[in-house]
Amino acid sequence: MSPLSSLESLVLSLVSPTRNDEHLKDELVLHCQDILNSHIGQNHDPDLVHLADSVKRQLLHSSPSGSAYLKFTNLLSRLLDQPVLSRKHASILFLYSLASSSASQASAPSLLPSLVPPPPSQPTTSSTTVDPPVDARCAKSRTKADILREYRTKTGRAIIPEHLLLRDTLYLLQGISGKYVRFSLQDDFENKLVFVEDSKYMISEPVKTLIHRLSEVGYLYTRVETFIREREGAPAVGMIEQSLCHHLQVQLTEYYRLIAVLESQMPAPPKHPTDESEENLSIRQEETGLTLRRLDVWINDWRLRMRMMSVCVEGARDAHGGALVNLIHSYTNNGDPFVRKFTDQLLEEVSKPFFATLHKWLFSGELYDPFNEFFVAMDPSLKHVQYTHPSSLSGGFGQPTGDGGLGSLLMDNEDASDKMENGLQLWQSKYQFQEDMLPMFVGEAFGRKILSTGKSLNFIRYSCHDSDWVATREKMSDSGGTLKYSDINGLERSIDTAYQVASGRLFEVFIDKFKLLDHLKALQNYLLLGHGDFADQLMEALGPSLTRQANTLFRHNLTATLETAIRSSNAQNDPAHVLRRLDSRMLEYTHGEIGWDVFTLEYKVDAPIDTVIDPDSMIKYLKLFSHLWQMKRIEGAMGQGWMRVAGDTRSFLRVPDLEFQWHQIRIVNAEMIHFIRQMQAYCHLEVIECSWKMLVEFLNKKEGDLDTMINAHRAYLDRMVKKVLLLSPKAGREENLLIQVRELFSIILQFREASDNFYNYCLSESVWRDKELDNERGVYTGRGTTSGELPTQLNPVKEYGAQFSEKAQALVHQLQVHPDLDCRFLAVRLSFSEYYRTKKDLGTHKP
Amino acid sequence: MSSREAERVNSAQQTLDILQEISQLLNTRLDRETLTTCVRMIESGVNPEALAAVILELRRESSALNGQDPTFVSR
Repeated sequence: MSPLSSLESLVLSLVSPTRNDEHLKDELVLHCQDILNSHIGQNHDPDLVHLADSVKRQLLHSSPSGSAYLKFTNLLSRLLDQPVLSRKHASILFLYSLASSSASQASAPSLLPSLVPPPPSQPTTSSTTVDPPVDARCAKSRTKADILREYRTKTGRAIIPEHLLLRDTLYLLQGISGKYVRFSLQDDFENKLVFVEDSKYMISEPVKTLIHRLSEVGYLYTRVETFIREREGAPAVGMIEQSLCHHLQVQLTEYYRLIAVLESQMPAPPKHPTDESEENLSIRQEETGLTLRRLDVWINDWRLRMRMMSVCVEGARDAHGGALVNLIHSYTNNGDPFVRKFTDQLLEEVSKPFFATLHKWLFSGELYDPFNEFFVAMDPSLKHVQYTHPSSLSGGFGQPTGDGGLGSLLMDNEDASDKMENGLQLWQSKYQFQEDMLPMFVGEAFGRKILSTGKSLNFIRYSCHDSDWVATREKMSDSGGTLKYSDINGLERSIDTAYQVASGRLFEVFIDKFKLLDHLKALQNYLLLGHGDFADQLMEALGPSLTRQANTLFRHNLTATLETAIRSSNAQNDPAHVLRRLDSRMLEYTHGEIGWDVFTLEYKVDAPIDTVIDPDSMIKYLKLFSHLWQMKRIEGAMGQGWMRVAGDTRSFLRVPDLEFQWHQIRIVNAEMIHFIRQMQAYCHLEVIECSWKMLVEFLNKKEGDLDTMINAHRAYLDRMVKKVLLLSPKAGREENLLIQVRELFSIILQFREASDNFYNYCLSESVWRDKELDNERGVYTGRGTTSGELPTQLNPVKEYGAQFSEKAQALVHQLQVHPDLDCRFLAVRLSFSEYYRTKKDLGTHKP
Repeated sequence: MSSREAERVNSAQQTLDILQEISQLLNTRLDRETLTTCVRMIESGVNPEALAAVILELRRESSALNGQDPTFVSR
């Protein structure tokens, strides 16, 4: 069946009269063909889903119960299952079009817009042509704004043309007052804008606000610019500040450039201020030229920048040097990438002088900081030392024969002690760490490292005469690249390397070149009586003369004796530069003191060793020496006494009735010898040697800088002082035990004297008895006299013996509760068989 | 062959039934014969919307000839 015949059958079935009227039928068929050949609705997508949705919507609309809706869904799915139709979509669309147009003609959707008013002969497909612009134009001609403008023109106060305001605003941006808008002059701090309004012109509120916003930049600009100009004029502005100013200046130049560009964009004022031309001009302006709003957009970026600059400037008024860098650095912690970038840039510039100083300091040990901006500051009072010290040092060091002998004069000594002070002072206080100047990105630990590195280099250079090495280092480091802010990791690496190299070198210099270890060993050997043979020789040689009054001693005798002792002991094998420094002298003495009280050995050190072995340590060494020396003396005395009580009494004295007393004395003597031996063993074995071992271990590790070396030595010495002198940490009672020990020492000496007296008595008694016997045998060998006062001779001996025992017991008792473990061990040593405890227990049991 | 033909006719009948039900649901006032003709035309490629327009046009024509029916000629 062709489409034409189908159409004919349609016409016949729908329009019944055509069955009779052939002409009408042909006409209608033709008409229908026209319609079919038109392009109605052919732009629709064949979207079944969308179509089904439309159908459903309509069904819901016509029958809200939903049954039709469900039925349609059901039918649709069944239809889709059917294989026959190839154009289901088209069929549905056909039905839908028919339905929607027949359901309600009024609300028909625009699927068939053109067919409703039917001129049958010309089916139009064009859409309705409405003309909204005409309407809009009509509406626009009477807006509120127009009414307002009309009102204003009526009142005679026109708004100032924008180009005038624009010109003023450009002035404002440079901090200059304009004609219509100007900065108020009477109150600088308040920074008010004043709008000059006259009767002819007025400025509308929004524009005022806009100008206010813009003028903030101008205000900030003024502040920054004032700051820069101030700094330019001021004398002695720090380098960091100068660099800040420079950076700000560069920024301002950028700003000027922007202003210049903006100004070139500014439209020329209208030549003929007639309404018509102005209208045209303003339209043209709106399209191309500069307006206040555009200006605002242009300036926006700069507003933030200016604000930051102004903040920096405000901060820079009080901050100085490193603190300024710090201040700026604190702004870099910002989430805004713009702010961060700006401050990073600023910091990069500003920190350049800082890094230059740092570089110089880190690699050559020179502090070049004319404006005190670096976080390392030089003590101005020690400034000269750097130059005078090495020369005096070379004087002392270069001519070892000059004052190097054993018999140097007292004057030299004082001189040397002066220098010694300088050595440590130089190291410790010449360069000071200034925390507030330290930039935060460096960090405190690194700051300290930097300080230490520079100090070490400085020290190596000027105090150790190793400037060649430093110079080579400097050259090497120069090739390694520069330090800068953006490369913090590299900076830290450089600092670490420099620190290690410098402090390692310093260790090397101290140990290899200046033989620090030799000196420490010598101090231990001589002053702490490490060389036993030397100490014995010295004791033997000096003993007799030291019992005399202090004022009968002469220094030259002492030094001569010292030399004898050295020659006759193993000490002679020590290197000459060590022996040269050893000296003996007398302390300041008062009336009645004997040689034992005032004699002391001395070891002289000079720069730069005196940095480690400073005068304070020397005093401690001397204190230790005097204690150990006294112990040595007691030991010697007890040794002699023992020989007398053990040997001589048996061989020479024949006083049988006094044997018991002698036995008693021997017991006490043995107790004392035990005491003194244990004390000595404790001091030498457990304290001095242990500490020495720790110190040597540290020095062999070669870690840390000179400060750690000084600290290690100080710890070594303090440990010895604390333990040898049995110092307790309790405040006010530090020396309690030491005093007791000294008392014990003096009791021992007194006992020794008393037992000597008793010995003499017994000797004479035995001589008398011999004579008596001789007389009985009839041989006259002279009349002896019996002293007959035995108790008076024996009493002090017993008394001292008892006193000693009691005090030793008290001492042991206190040592047992001493906080220091080593001291408690001494108590164990002293009362090894719990001798003192049992005695004490016995004492408590027996009332 | 004949069974397949019968099946085809049968399914065509079913399809036509469904379409007629939808047509009734949508209140298109098409009888079965017209519907068949229209579907056949659509299947042969006639623009469905244009065909709908033709149907409407013919109805309008018919009513105009049968006497003025205000529901269709208003506006």
